[in-house]
Amino acid sequence: MPRVMRTPRAIEIDITNRCNLRCEYCYHFSSEGDVAADLPTDEWLAFFDELGRSSVMEVTLGGGEPFVRADLPELIEGIVRNRMRYSVLSNGTLITEDMAAFLAGTRRCNHVQVSIDGATPDVHESCRGAGTFRKAVHAIEVLQAHGVPVAVRVTVHHRNVRDLPNIARFLLDGLGLPSFSTNAASYLGLCRDHADGVALTVEDRVLAMTTLESLNERYGGRIQAAAGPLAEARMWREMVRKTAEGGAAGDCPGGCLSSCGGVFSKLAVRADGVYVPCTLLPGIALGRITVDGLEDVWNNHPELERLRTRQTLPLAGFDECGGCDYIPHCRGGCPGLSYTLTGSPYRPSPDACLRRFLAESGLGADTFLPGNGVTP
Amino acid sequence: MPSACRVVANPSTVFREELDDWALLFNPDTGAVYGLNPVGAFIRKRMDGSRSVRDFADLVAEHFEDVPDEVELEVSAFVEELVGMGFAEYLES
Repeated sequence: MPRVMRTPRAIEIDITNRCNLRCEYCYHFSSEGDVAADLPTDEWLAFFDELGRSSVMEVTLGGGEPFVRADLPELIEGIVRNRMRYSVLSNGTLITEDMAAFLAGTRRCNHVQVSIDGATPDVHESCRGAGTFRKAVHAIEVLQAHGVPVAVRVTVHHRNVRDLPNIARFLLDGLGLPSFSTNAASYLGLCRDHADGVALTVEDRVLAMTTLESLNERYGGRIQAAAGPLAEARMWREMVRKTAEGGAAGDCPGGCLSSCGGVFSKLAVRADGVYVPCTLLPGIALGRITVDGLEDVWNNHPELERLRTRQTLPLAGFDECGGCDYIPHCRGGCPGLSYTLTGSPYRPSPDACLRRFLAESGLGADTFLPGNGVTP
Repeated sequence: MPSACRVVANPSTVFREELDDWALLFNPDTGAVYGLNPVGAFIRKRMDGSRSVRDFADLVAEHFEDVPDEVELEVSAFVEELVGMGFAEYLES
């Protein structure tokens, strides 16, 4: 099991619960992180002082849409004053020239992540709403002009999965980004209400894997993924290869619920100031900032300690994993997705199950062997 | 730099003590992270501007076992690296 850092290295903060958009697949709204009120400026600033005293290194500001907060510059100055770097997750529609200049001037911005879901307004706006494309692209351009690192995130969903080649061309050739990352509209937040029209079908997932792997080869590895179809394709290739090679059972950290190590180095805070293990586990309340000390929560909260032992839970102990050949090399998937799909973060996520995916798609496991493409 | 030159840690950088006396240095201006073993962490904690490389070498020899004869050279190289990465600076004598 990984060692727990003395204090969190990084904190993910929903700095606001407000957003000017309601993207159909948003993981935040209608989740337990969708809280009633934002905290005032002074509470966040006091918390940032505590983070500084605890030698936290990075803060990620998300939400909601961080740029709806008029006091965002003041909050960022509080982060900088406490010797931390920061990133901002944004839909891009509210980023002005002045804001880009301010961010550049702090010299502590790791990146601003802007969501782009299409190469044209109709595709991008199919889940995000009218008028959002031009503004998001403008945000990327003004950030680039001021030298602020831009990280574009493409969420792959049912309505843009056929547009991925155009999106890659637009972002990498057109806007000249060094790279972009992808994930997928997952069964979280608002996506649960719109799953039929937004979430990827099995056929969509196959198409997304095929397309993204091919595009990534063409673009020299400039497409990244920690989740979603591209990450799944890579993970499942590795699992099939190791299984074919006869890897021994218990090949740690496979064979247990070891997919996520976030709770060993990171913590999150909801917009109402409640500590949670991760923004994807907003229902597990661990205390409240400025009331409960960061280091006390981090080192002593029993639920956090329990989540850290998740890594030792063997997949062989779950009925749904019974008889699966891939167990020695499987890590059980995202605990947040597992929580929304099964009601518990202490179970494997059905969404990450290779055996289930193969059965539903009709693909053979050899599809994922080296040299083979993911083809229907 | 001569071994008699005093060294001070850059106060705008972050020193994170971790388990088993290991530590991390973080420079928020550059994003650079540098891992310190227990000897490195021991030295960094004492970079208050009052000690030189030679002082650090003497302290290391006092506090640790199996210290090599060339400890001053090793400490000097370590300090030089920290200075090069902006984690510390030499003070004028």
